[in-house]
Amino acid sequence: MKSETREESGALIISFEGDIDLQSSPEARKALLEAVGKGMAVLVDLSAVDYIDSSGVASLVESFQKAKTEHHKFILVSVSDSARRVLELARLDKVFTICGSISDALEA
Amino acid sequence: MDDQLNDIVTRETETTKDILTLLADMGQTFAATQDIEASLQYAVEHIAKYVGAEAGSLFMLDDDETHLYCHACYGDVDIVGVEIGADQGIVGHCVQNIATEIVRDVTNDTRFHQGVDDESGFVTRSILCAPLSVKGNCIGAIELINKSSGDGLFDTSDLTLLSTLASSAALAIVNARMAEKLVEQERVARELELAAEIQRSLLPSGNEGLPVWGSNIPARTVSGDFFDYFELEDGRIVFNLGDVSGKGMNAALLMAKTSSLFRCLSKTIEHPGRLLGRINTEICETSTRGMFVTMVGGIFDPTTGRLRIANAGHEPPLVRDVQGNYRAIAAEAPPLGIVDDFSWENGFPVTTIDLDGGAFYLFTDGVTEGYVEDGVELGVDGVQKIIDESSTESINLQLERIVASVFGSGIALRDDLTVLGIADDLLKRPVSEDNDPTVGEKAVGDASHRQQFASLTTNSSPERLRMIRSMVTDGAKSLGFSNEVIQDLILAVDEACQNVIRYAYGGKHDGTMEIVLFSDEDNLIIEVRDQAPHVDPATIKPRDLDDVRPGGLGTHLMNQVMNSVEYLPLSEEGGNILRMIKIIS
Repeated sequence: MKSETREESGALIISFEGDIDLQSSPEARKALLEAVGKGMAVLVDLSAVDYIDSSGVASLVESFQKAKTEHHKFILVSVSDSARRVLELARLDKVFTICGSISDALEA
Repeated sequence: MDDQLNDIVTRETETTKDILTLLADMGQTFAATQDIEASLQYAVEHIAKYVGAEAGSLFMLDDDETHLYCHACYGDVDIVGVEIGADQGIVGHCVQNIATEIVRDVTNDTRFHQGVDDESGFVTRSILCAPLSVKGNCIGAIELINKSSGDGLFDTSDLTLLSTLASSAALAIVNARMAEKLVEQERVARELELAAEIQRSLLPSGNEGLPVWGSNIPARTVSGDFFDYFELEDGRIVFNLGDVSGKGMNAALLMAKTSSLFRCLSKTIEHPGRLLGRINTEICETSTRGMFVTMVGGIFDPTTGRLRIANAGHEPPLVRDVQGNYRAIAAEAPPLGIVDDFSWENGFPVTTIDLDGGAFYLFTDGVTEGYVEDGVELGVDGVQKIIDESSTESINLQLERIVASVFGSGIALRDDLTVLGIADDLLKRPVSEDNDPTVGEKAVGDASHRQQFASLTTNSSPERLRMIRSMVTDGAKSLGFSNEVIQDLILAVDEACQNVIRYAYGGKHDGTMEIVLFSDEDNLIIEVRDQAPHVDPATIKPRDLDDVRPGGLGTHLMNQVMNSVEYLPLSEEGGNILRMIKIIS
């Protein structure tokens, strides 16, 4: 898994690539929580995620809850099919705000 | 005796009008009363005055007939509330023998109980006492003390007069008491009717557009049976039917509790086995000893015809396939509310059934043990016969016929009647999706001709997960699964391995993990084995879905994507085996 964080229009965009599994999810979690800790809107780009497991989903949930309590936006962007499938199975597709593109998310 | 009679006749002639008026007034007072005590007071006052006594008191037996209580009195001294033994004194004597008593002069009579005088300071010289009795049943007595005229002593004509008045008072009191009981009964009946109304409101009111229908007819006002169904947002239908042990109000209350728990919890716990397990825990925690609930809970997907049910000690439901063959689904768990065993926390056993255009019938024993017209029990055979005869009709009509065969037989219901049915309509299948031509609960995975076609043994390190995923991908591809299903299989195996790493080995990376893939004609069987200490499956239970927090998600995902996920019985050699099955379509 690779991750990259950049700032754009007052939001932090964090992009993941590859597999977010038990091995890589601690790293993903660290990156997500760091981004949320900056006190800005966080957009998580999941377009290049080939696989995400429950530990990866748990990292997203934890970061989402932290952002929510601090009243910052936390949006999942361009969710790949396999990631979307797991979110649906976990019935979390209705919990997260999910946008089709970065520009949609920035306007949301 | 003749003298006495003459005396009465003389007095009666003089005062016939008065005594008739008194009797009529007394009767009316009791008949119209909302307050029997006030009427007793009215009676003792008027009788004492009429007979011409200085004082009078009315004693009534208590419920267990061991004591006499003074309920009303007349005269200078108030002894209301005074209690004496049921056989004490003149009053006790009178009540025990149901006979009038006269003590012309108390100084000459040893039966006189000095106690009341000592308490009241009254000086008793002469006593009359007559039982309050109706048809040999004595409820108390009226005692008069000291004639207010002449020598202050009563004579036998006074006694006969009192006796007449007492009989009539007794009848009036008994009638008033019966009326009071009737009013109370009516009040209870009204409250039962209100309870029944609340109960009816707990049942679903219609089945508009849904392929499910149910009916409940209580044997008494309130019911110990219940059923429910409702549609989830995604179109699946959650349903239940249950029977609380016993009848009457206690059963009705437990029914209300159980059906409410089901309705509430079923919105967050979709797995019928875990749902019933959870309800069991709740009922065990608070239920009255000796009461239990048999229940079937389940979920039906009209788009696939697949039904998943858990049966807690309930009469086996029937599945009727399109050819008209029946299969009974026996209970695999005990009734709810008996034992809260930790092993059920992970769920009661669940049976998966593919209706494939057939129908599913649930009923209580009030139906199968109910009498039909000729006075014999309907029985499961009878239920099947009715269904066969009406199989072309709607599920509503079929069930109505079953109910009518018992309810309309003219023989009183022995027990509450409750039925629920689900009809699978093949036309409801989405056109594009391929149906799972599945095998239902046929002993999947246990088939002897299964073949192992891939396996991998590795250490319990997260680094190995990627390798395991690619092994599963290759294996599943060879069985012709679609890419979407392969994604699901990968997820399930990956989550199973994570559980081994995180829970069985507690995060240690040097344990052994073995993943084995088998197949038989219908199924892909995946076993994940480890050499770790036994894991209590209950500790890796899935989370409730409304509980949005990290963790506990893996087991839920496995259950979602696989047709079956189970820990095999623990072996002597140690280690855990998780077996997951996916039906090959």
